[in-house]
Formats: sequence, structure tokens, C-alpha cells
Amino acid sequence: MPDIQLMGLLNATLQAATLLFIAALGELITEKSGILNLGVEGMISIGAVTGFMTAINTENLFLSIIVGVLSASLFSSIHAFVTVILKQDQTVSGLILTILGLALSSLLGKKYVGKKLMVKVESIRDIAEPSNIFEVLLSQNLIFYLAILMMITTSFVLKKTMFGRRLEAVGEDSRASDSMGLKINKTQFIATCVGGAFAGLSGVYLTLSYVPFWTDNMTSGRGWICLALVIFGGWKPYRTALGALLFGFLEALVPRLQTYGFELSPYLVKIAPYLITIIVLVILTIYKEGKTGAPGNIGRPFFRENR
Amino acid sequence: MNKYILSKKTVVNDLATFYSFLIGLFVAVCIGSIILLIQDQNPINVFSLMLKLSVGSINSLSNSLNKAIPLILAGLGIAIMNSVKLWNIGAEGQIFLGAIAVNLIYININISNSSLFIFILLISGFIGGAICILLPAITKVFFGVNEIITTLLTNYVIIGLTVYLVNGPWKDPKSLNFPAAAYVGKEVYLPTIFGKLSTGFLICILFAIGAHYLKEKSVFGYEMRIAGGSAMTAIYAGINAKQKAFYAMLVGGGFAGLAGAIELLSQTHRVSPGISQGFGYTAIIVAAITGMRPIGIFLVGCLFGALTIGGAVIQTIGVSSYIAEIIQASTLIGALISQFFFTYQIKEVEDA
Repeated sequence: MPDIQLMGLLNATLQAATLLFIAALGELITEKSGILNLGVEGMISIGAVTGFMTAINTENLFLSIIVGVLSASLFSSIHAFVTVILKQDQTVSGLILTILGLALSSLLGKKYVGKKLMVKVESIRDIAEPSNIFEVLLSQNLIFYLAILMMITTSFVLKKTMFGRRLEAVGEDSRASDSMGLKINKTQFIATCVGGAFAGLSGVYLTLSYVPFWTDNMTSGRGWICLALVIFGGWKPYRTALGALLFGFLEALVPRLQTYGFELSPYLVKIAPYLITIIVLVILTIYKEGKTGAPGNIGRPFFRENR
Repeated sequence: MNKYILSKKTVVNDLATFYSFLIGLFVAVCIGSIILLIQDQNPINVFSLMLKLSVGSINSLSNSLNKAIPLILAGLGIAIMNSVKLWNIGAEGQIFLGAIAVNLIYININISNSSLFIFILLISGFIGGAICILLPAITKVFFGVNEIITTLLTNYVIIGLTVYLVNGPWKDPKSLNFPAAAYVGKEVYLPTIFGKLSTGFLICILFAIGAHYLKEKSVFGYEMRIAGGSAMTAIYAGINAKQKAFYAMLVGGGFAGLAGAIELLSQTHRVSPGISQGFGYTAIIVAAITGMRPIGIFLVGCLFGALTIGGAVIQTIGVSSYIAEIIQASTLIGALISQFFFTYQIKEVEDA
């Protein structure tokens, strides 16, 4: 029986899950309002690079997080403008956000590739080798706890506050909500920018904590896994968190399989998380017989006919 | 007090997409210029250099058109799939699997007649692309699994598979540290038309016309449009919408796979992680910008091919090649924004 280092695995799981969960939660909020944003990958990249650049130049962590979050949110407002105000195709616009975000972040980060970060979002308590779950939790950083707080708050806001109920109403049936006097454009615009801000925080977590450096295309498809997570979670915050833990576990487990004594090609092991994501998504959709819980109006631009 | 409301124009200009594209391109060049200015580069110098090195000579022009081939073929595949209102984000993976399929057949069979061999290899590429989209197609058609996410994630799986093959079973010992499979023999190289332009470009023209016919004129294209438009109408018209969607996906994947085959047989001559440099993603921009029109895809594909070559060569004077990608993406954003003004109008009405 090889030593499976359970606590190390748990630690890596939580870190990978935090990264995925924050961006997925943001996308969940955006989608709840009826706007589909396929630009998660691009938004995470923008947040990651701007946060990293600020951290290198100012060595001020708080400022770096703020800059990362705001710039990703600003970037997502392109999508909000094009789809909410100008009613253009959400799939196309979201895809450009991904392509543009990756290119723009590579351009911005060109001079920062390989630079060493002097500051890093530190763990609450510095424990070299955590031996129990409590110590693993303590060795997470502030953003992890922020993510838990965001999960609880989002769930509460969506279910119990007027703002949340309106947001869901807009996403379910824009036309009916409009006749009730809700401000469709404003709600969707805000929801899209909030989604961008969350993705930005996820990006900051990526470059200032998860892998403290910057290289091109370092998001490596995580943004797309976040989109799958929202479907997996049935547009519910807690279930999305559960999904994030599962996918985080896969991401943490796969590189460890070899040390556990499995004879596997490291190249084939790398594709496992993507393959498993597809399989899980397929099984889940079949299991639910297509009733995924998607907001009724998702992807359809709202346009008030001439009256 | 009067208020302003948004309304749809009753008559939309036939050339709206074309004008939007021009405006988008203008906006993108402006954005590119600003980025160049920030980097202390003279935009006029950079753009004229890009122009000169992408279309200035027979050699550079043929390079540009060679780059256009995968963009056009993958773009056509995306457009065909869009007839049934489905998105193919997996063209990148399909290009890779097309190339892998070609190499697999090349290793395992040998045909002495080289034109027949090339023909068979091209078909293998097409089939490889179709196989790549098989899983997303089956799951979409039968179970309604979101095809955007499955086709996209398939990209990562296929590129991972490529990296595995060229580092493992197919690794060419002569390539030393660079992971790549062995070169294919000269007998299966695609012949050139002029300069370095490969005959793949002729295939491209043929397929663009074919896709135009398929989409706009054929019975299958008509049925695809109905199947994609409304499920109820399709039932009334006796059209099997699922079957149409399934075929459209396979053909769409096949087009991208063929692009991979041509890229292998005319450009790289071996399987490596560099078979496609994001062609599958740029193809989405190309297809979307033209409103999924095959002839438009052909023309914009040629332009974007030149842009890619231009972007690659200006690296030598210290300008990032990402500028080309940013221009391509901004063109689409600009086009989307101007499309709004062609389809909507802001009317002033009296407040009741």
C-alpha cells in the first residue's frame, strides 16, 4: 500500500476547487440573469495578468486583488455592452471575449513571463505538512474563505432578497419581468459585470497563490470547466461548489497517480480531467433527461417590441 | 416629454454584413494602432511592413493564402453546423485529429500511385475530423448535451493525445528534443500551384462553392435550416431534425479534419503540436464575421491568413504577434457593434 498522503491531496483539492468555484459562481450569477458568457477563460486571464503585474510593480497585495477584479469586470462589460445594450449574439460575443482576453493578456504579460513574485497571498497559518483536516483548512489562504463567504452570500441573495428574486425573474422570463416594470438591461448588465469580477478574483487566485508566476495561456481550459460546472451544479451555488470540489479533486489526483504506483503516461494523464468533465456532463444530462435547471431565457437577447 | 425607444428596422440593407465588416476592420486597425503607439512603434511603418511581407511578393502572397486554407475550411465547417443552429468550437481539435488520421493511414498502408495515395489520405483527414466530433454529436443529438462545451473540451483531449503520440509511440528519434513524428515521404506532398501555394487552395475554392451550394441551394441545406429554425415546423414538414443535426455536425467536423490533412501534407509534413496555431479559434471569428456565408468566409479567410503571416513577420522587428489576433478579434467586435445600427433604429415617440 503506497503512502497516499491524504492531507496533501485534500489540500491540493481545495486549492484547485477554489479557483474553479469562484469563476463558476460568477458565471452562475450572469447566467441567472439570462446572459450566457462564454468568455470565462478570457476574463480569468485578464484578472490573472493584471493582478500579477500590479503585484510585481507595487508589491501591494490588496491593490493587486482590486486591480485584477476590476479589470476583469471592466473587460466583461464589453460583453454586457454588445449583448445587453446592442442585443447581439451572446455565443459570438462570449467567444471573442475568450480569444481577445487570451491575446490581450499574453500581450500585457509578455514582459512578466518568468518574473519572480515577491509577495503572495499567504495561508492563514503556515503549516508545512498538515496532519489533519483542521490544519489543512487553516493552511488555506484568505481567498478560500472569501469563496465560502461568497457561496453563502450568493445563495442567500438569490433566494431571499428582492434583488435576487428579480435577477431570477429576469433570467426566467424577460418579457413578463419587463411588463412588471423590472429593469431588464440594468439587471443583466450588472449581473454580467459581477460575473466578470468573480472571474477576475479567480484569476488573481491563480497567479498570486495557486501557481505564483505568469505564462501565456496558463488558464489552460479552466474557464471552460467552470462553464461545465454551472451546468453540473444545476445553477445552484451549493451544488456548484460540490462540483468544484469533485473537479478540483480530479485535478489534484491525476498528477499524483504516478506516485501512487500507477504506470501511466504523464501525457495521457493530462487529458484525463477534460475527458472526465465531458463524461460527467454527459451522464448528468442523461440522468436529468435534459431538465438541467437552466434559466428559461438564457442566450436569448431581450428586445421590447414596438409598442 | 418625448422618450426614445429601440425598434427593429423593417428593411435591412443586403450588404449590412459587408459594411459592418469594413467598419469593424477600421475600428480594429485603430485599436491596433493605439496598442502599437503605446509600445513606441510607428503604426504606419508596422502596417506597411505587414502588408509588404504578407502580399508584397509571389512568395509572401502564397504563404498568406496557405495560411488561409485551414481558416477557410474550418470556417466552412462551422458555418455548415450553424445551419442547424449548433456551434462548433472544436475545430482546433478536429484539425489535429485530421492530421493524426492522415499519419496513421500513411504509416499503415502503402499505395504506389501517389495521387491515389494523396486522395485517400485527404479522405482519412476528413473522416478523422468527423470522428473527432462524433462524441459531441451523439450526445447532443440523442441526449441534448451542450455541444459548445463538449466540442471545446474535446480540443484539450485531442491536443493532449497529439502531445502523447509525438512524445511516445510516434516520436521521431531524429527530431531530438523537439517532440514530433517522423516526416511523411515526398511522394505524398501536395503539389504547388505557383510560388509556394499548395493545391490545397484549389480544394478550398471547390469546398467554398460546394458549401455555398449545400447551404443555400440544396434540399439538404433547406432541411437543415428548417431543422435549426423550429422543432415544430420540422415535424410538420416531415423532416428528421435530429438526423439533419447529426449529419451537419459530422460534415462540419470533417471540413476541419480536411484542413488538418492539407496542413500536414502541404506545410508541416509531420505531426507535431504545431500543426495548428489556433486556426480553429480564428476560424470561428472568420465564420461569425461573415454571418456564416461560405463565399464571405473564403474572402475573409484570405484576408485573415495574410494578417496572420503579417503578424508573424513583424515579430522580427520586436512587435508582438498577438497584435494580429487582437486585430482579428476587434474586427468582430466592431462588426457586431455596427451590425446593431443596421438592424435597429432608435425612434423618438411621444410619451403618453
